[in-house]
Amino acid sequence: MSAAAPSARVDPGALERRLRALLEERYHDKHPFNSRMHAGALTPDELRRWVRNRYYYQTRIPIKDGVILAKSEDREFRRSWIRRITDHDGDAQREGGLELWLKLADAVGLDRREVASLRNVLPGVRRACDAYVELVTSSDLLASVAASLTESRAGALLGLRAAAFEKHYGWIAPEGLAYFRSRTTQAPRDAAEGMAFVLAHARNAADAERCVAALTKKCEILWALLDAVEWGGAKPRLAPAAQLRENEPLVVLPERAVRLTGSGREMLAACSGTRSIEEIASLVRARHPDAENVERDCYEFLEQMQRLGVIEAPV
Amino acid sequence: MSEASTASAPRPLNLVAELTYRCPLRCPYCSNPTNLRDFPEALTSADWARVFREAAALGCVHVGLTGGEPSARRDLPEIVAAAAGAGLYTHLVTAAMPLTAAGLAVLKERGLRSVQISVQDAEAHASDEIAGTESFARKCALARETKRIALPLTLNVVLHRRNLGRVREIIVLARELGADRLELANAQYHGWALANRASLLPARAQIEDAARVVAEQTRRGAKPEILFVLPDYFRDRPKPCMGGWARTHLVVAPDGRALPCHNAAQLPLEFWNVRERSLASCWADAPGMNAFRGESWMREPCRSCPERARDFGGCRCQAFALTGVAANTDPACALSPEHARIAASHSEPARAELRYRERT
Repeated sequence: MSAAAPSARVDPGALERRLRALLEERYHDKHPFNSRMHAGALTPDELRRWVRNRYYYQTRIPIKDGVILAKSEDREFRRSWIRRITDHDGDAQREGGLELWLKLADAVGLDRREVASLRNVLPGVRRACDAYVELVTSSDLLASVAASLTESRAGALLGLRAAAFEKHYGWIAPEGLAYFRSRTTQAPRDAAEGMAFVLAHARNAADAERCVAALTKKCEILWALLDAVEWGGAKPRLAPAAQLRENEPLVVLPERAVRLTGSGREMLAACSGTRSIEEIASLVRARHPDAENVERDCYEFLEQMQRLGVIEAPV
Repeated sequence: MSEASTASAPRPLNLVAELTYRCPLRCPYCSNPTNLRDFPEALTSADWARVFREAAALGCVHVGLTGGEPSARRDLPEIVAAAAGAGLYTHLVTAAMPLTAAGLAVLKERGLRSVQISVQDAEAHASDEIAGTESFARKCALARETKRIALPLTLNVVLHRRNLGRVREIIVLARELGADRLELANAQYHGWALANRASLLPARAQIEDAARVVAEQTRRGAKPEILFVLPDYFRDRPKPCMGGWARTHLVVAPDGRALPCHNAAQLPLEFWNVRERSLASCWADAPGMNAFRGESWMREPCRSCPERARDFGGCRCQAFALTGVAANTDPACALSPEHARIAASHSEPARAELRYRERT
């Protein structure tokens, strides 16, 4: 399947099928963390970690929608799209999605002020969510609307989620689930609007490729968010394939070696499989009381080590 | 490391131990020399044990036991034990023949840390046709056995015109076999592969399609990790061959010659033999090793090029094979005055037949 010439006209039906197939394959409903959530397998701590961190994503939604609004010259488009901001921020008549999410935070036993302060958001979650705003900021209107098409799977996912919470997490008061319920109607409506816009405005093969690329990137961002939430509870250990050299800052793996800098070796040596990353960070902080951002560095360094296959964190 | 001169040589991290050039396979892109019979198999397992100890003293941390087919040597278990005993991370590159499951278990017991198995395609017929012998089923079985006994597994597939269209199937196979890494290695046109270039060189669209499939199939953190590098014939810049000449990789050929890469014996340079001198001296002082270290050997356009620190001027063996002068800029680089030689290869008429590696 060679790519068509960039100027070739787009068949809207084919583009829609491609976008939906992409979502079918890469939407985060298939992420192991979501699977465990919906199977009732998450511990209260894991659920709280997800609620606290996902709130940061929620706060990014009205901001990225404001960015999208500012890209359009079309009054009709803006008049319709602005509804998304109100849906999340609320107005005099009704509570918005952000408030409903804080009610979920109350219901799972978190302090809503702590959640709203965003001070305990995990570095990887922050990075993923900021990447979404950046994607929308740096894309044109068409591609940034295409990135929002994950909504077309959100309605079904949140319906499933509300039911799963009722079934498996009876300790969460039902008032906490209002956000999920509100989105089961809002998301399909928003998704239909977004899809219609994309299919009407993607004129040629180059447009179609940009839409697919933007939606792919968005799927990766949602996936990375859950990776980071999972990572927040990880108790990493050295991968069986990895060999930490004695007396030098070097890890050897099949066909490659990774050089460690700074306190990298210390952090790896602390990966016992019994300590959380937070605990590893406190160990390092105790040894280097003057170092700044130890916790963030630790999360990021160990995440990088996981990507390189140096450590693993069985769930 | 008694010789004073070794202080100035870089530290080799990886030893490539070519134990033999014998191989039951006859792949037409084999990276062994086309005159492989001129390399007698001269090192005993005791010699290799000394090479491993000296390599560790030089700073090597990893050894790839390769060939030819390393398991063609009956003393492979002793060789593995010596490598592991020297403190090297011991990695086996095998065609899975004649190695058996029982043999693999012995190697693990002797200290083997990881395994790379090659297949030639995603299915038996095509794979066996390239290998020149029936081998696909055995390879898959040994790959499964590798995972069963909990050794890290890399699956290696050399890509060319005939199998690039099946990259998706190859990725599926790697997942089925439980590979930790999948190395999709575009054929490099040296030696046997250069002789078969007209039969193997793909069209640009094939490479682009394969790159797209790889991007689609790549999931961060998911296994297998997929390695796919755009081949130099299809880029405007050369590959950073071996990470620089005699810089981090040290190859010892079956005859005992210490080389900076597995092709370098083809060049008109003097390399030294570990049977006659210490490995440290072969690495640091052999005229061939020092011929292209650093940047002072470079000619224009490399000499003044801002990218020279990244690609080291490309591949000396390719420069020699295609331009006759090893110090020339690698013609894969669009800045090379001889780049037309690469460009011309893309319009060579395709040949159907393959010239197989000779039987060994």
